[in-house]
Amino acid sequence: MPGASSRLIAIACGTAGLAGFFALWQVIGHYQLAGLSWPPLTAVLQYLFDPDRHALFLRAIDATLRSTIAGYLIGALTGIGLASIAYTLPMLQRGSDRFAAVVNSIPSIALGPIFLILISREATPAGVASIHVFFIVYVSMNSGLASTSQAHEDLFSALGSSRLKRFLRLNFPSAVPAIASGLRLSWPAALIGAIIGEWFGAPRGIGILIINSMQNFQINLLWSAVLLAAMASLFFFGMLTLVERAAYRRFR
Amino acid sequence: MARFFVLNWGILLILVAWEGWVAANDFNPIVMPSPQGVFMDMISNPGIYVENTSVTLFVAAVGLAGGLAVGTGLAILTWSSPLLSGIVSPTAVLFSSVPVVSLIPIIARILGYNMATEIAIVVIITFFPSFVFTTAGLRDLPHGSQDLFSVLGASRRATLRRLALPAAVPNMAIALRLAAAHAILAAMIAEFLMGTTGLGYLFAVTKQEFLTERAFGTSVVATAISVAAFLATSLLERRIRARFT
Repeated sequence: MPGASSRLIAIACGTAGLAGFFALWQVIGHYQLAGLSWPPLTAVLQYLFDPDRHALFLRAIDATLRSTIAGYLIGALTGIGLASIAYTLPMLQRGSDRFAAVVNSIPSIALGPIFLILISREATPAGVASIHVFFIVYVSMNSGLASTSQAHEDLFSALGSSRLKRFLRLNFPSAVPAIASGLRLSWPAALIGAIIGEWFGAPRGIGILIINSMQNFQINLLWSAVLLAAMASLFFFGMLTLVERAAYRRFR
Repeated sequence: MARFFVLNWGILLILVAWEGWVAANDFNPIVMPSPQGVFMDMISNPGIYVENTSVTLFVAAVGLAGGLAVGTGLAILTWSSPLLSGIVSPTAVLFSSVPVVSLIPIIARILGYNMATEIAIVVIITFFPSFVFTTAGLRDLPHGSQDLFSVLGASRRATLRRLALPAAVPNMAIALRLAAAHAILAAMIAEFLMGTTGLGYLFAVTKQEFLTERAFGTSVVATAISVAAFLATSLLERRIRARFT
């Protein structure tokens, strides 16, 4: 089977690439080629998995994930909601596109202080995360809605279906794969939003660890916190990739 | 006039809600300034805004150009060697799903707190979309065109120049649109964290000194240049798409 063997070669190459990346990290850290701020990978892992610090890291990642998930859900629902409204009321479409683009262009460090006053210190990370997710989901749903096949559109019109019914039975289902892609791509953006939101005085979280260790020159802590954030991002990203594949199989 | 409303109802809504919210709560301008106060501060101190905006735009533009160049270069390199592509691509994909903003403090620690570091940060952050989209574009060739080139005995280099690169141009335009917005954001976060120069620095300082109107003015300017970059690159993308497909 040529397919299976070429797949095996691809996996071998990919693994070699990753191993090379980690080896490079280790060597640069070990010989201090990039100065004291680049520790070897083993030192970072040792620091991260030290039983004494389990409580610290667990508390931080727990807080950050809670904010990220809350912001993710709020942002996704808002994005889907606004895209649906704009599609069913076409006169709003161009204005809502611009509205979404402007909201997304507000720099996240400026969103922090606004949410601080609007809601609370604890809820600011979720707020900033939701804005990032909102835009990505809104844009992907728009392009998904635009991909509805014209023949189906004509059939629904010919059979005299109402606009709402056509949206629910035809347009929305055709947009599901694009929405699933948007949901996958917006997860790292949500995590970034939560981390930036935490810089504005959240009581705990990965963002707090990152900013404090940067300012206090705690290099191992800084790298551990970033590595933890990266692992959390990859885990959920992988899960969402599976969801996306299922959506493509079912709705295409 | 009607056209203006159709296009901008969302932005007007934000301004009206902002003004109404400040008036209803009777906020002190130190806590939450009104749009009017922010606007007054902007027109009475144009020098400060122009100076810092140009610094941020410079950092973002140089970093963006660097990121696109490195991303395109690496994409061409992996295109010409399947082995290299197999080795590099999984790691690059891994990186593109990592929250890159969290890398900014590490890069700042390694390279030092200065403008070169800010540019390096923008290069790294804009590199990923450029690499991912250009790679996809180089492979997404018109059906059968690859066969034609090999039948006519085109060299690998000629195939790249006359077939793959032109085919990848629309994708590069998408990468430019995505990366341009990221570039300004990344430059501002780097300036904010390191407290060196530019709009991010201005925002950090004015917030600490309770010059809230100026901090909001800084955000308004940053939003405006991001939107302008977004609109300009979207327009460019449409033009390029029309020309190359």
